[in-house]
Amino acid sequence: MNTELHEKRIPIIKIGNFLIVSIQVDMHDKLAIQLQSQILEEIEKTGAKGVLIDISVLEMVDSFIGRMLSGMASMASIMDAAVVIVGMQPAVAITLVELGLEMPGVDTALNMEKGMEMLERRIKDEDYELY
Amino acid sequence: MSETYNIEKVKERISHIEDILASVAAGDMDARVNSETEDDLSGIEAAIDLLIDDLTDELKQREKMQKEVEDKLIKIQEQQKTIFQQQADLMELSSPVSKVWDNTLILPVIGTLDSQRTQIMMENLLEKIVETGCTISILDITGVPTVDTQVANHLLKTVTSARLLGAECIISGISPAIAQTIVHLGIDLSSIKTKATLQDAMIYAMKQNKLSENVKLQTLFTNPDENED
Repeated sequence: MNTELHEKRIPIIKIGNFLIVSIQVDMHDKLAIQLQSQILEEIEKTGAKGVLIDISVLEMVDSFIGRMLSGMASMASIMDAAVVIVGMQPAVAITLVELGLEMPGVDTALNMEKGMEMLERRIKDEDYELY
Repeated sequence: MSETYNIEKVKERISHIEDILASVAAGDMDARVNSETEDDLSGIEAAIDLLIDDLTDELKQREKMQKEVEDKLIKIQEQQKTIFQQQADLMELSSPVSKVWDNTLILPVIGTLDSQRTQIMMENLLEKIVETGCTISILDITGVPTVDTQVANHLLKTVTSARLLGAECIISGISPAIAQTIVHLGIDLSSIKTKATLQDAMIYAMKQNKLSENVKLQTLFTNPDENED
């Protein structure tokens, strides 16, 4: 079972200060939980300041995945990393809102580029506070 | 001798009646027996003629009614078609999403909103946001006379869904009546950016654009070494 899940691991790519997670398979609950801990571990290991989660391929997000995503955002933020969810499809957004999962406190961006800009802006703001 | 002659004649007349009946059955309503002689058989012949007359009248009447019904049916079908067409037109017309400026979409809403219309509006807006990549959209409800709980809820949902996509949605042109209704219904719009007029919303959108553009330029022109920490 473990090896089976292991094979389906979602790659986490580190670019600069950010982690990029592109979900390109249908999420099931176990995979979601695994991804959550995987991302948090990676944040700790790399000291990343931002995580971009690309869900543009996901056609369907159920309440569990939605909750997992918003939970991950708050977990990462207490680890000092901002989570931006990128490329959500209209149908998915409507479903989430209908489910009552409005994801307060989660940043979203239309595409990877805009998400990256958003994170850069945020890090820049924090840098300004220093100097 | 005279009897055989009579029988021959009777046979002839009966066969004539049969012929007439056959042609009536075949659809020739003008056929009549029209006997000239006066005897026992002529009564029957007259009766048959009368029956044929009645039948003809009935058939004509039925045909007329059927035609009337058919005409009415066609008329109703045409009307229904028109109604469907108009409904489709209304749906199409009711939610035009247009790009008015860099990074800015406008959805002007005119007329009374119902759930179905708001649903279609919401879908159109979200599709357009993804299609154009605009991060600011303005929902102008100046032309909406009233809203009810459901519609207000739908507006809220639209704004929240837009936010989930990564776009900001501003509502402009809330009339006093709508403001009153919304507050009386206990709907919390505090999480949503609302502007008085479309102009204000546009100014806000442009400022927002300028802000993000400046940041973008700054990030572009800063030394990459600086970013690495």
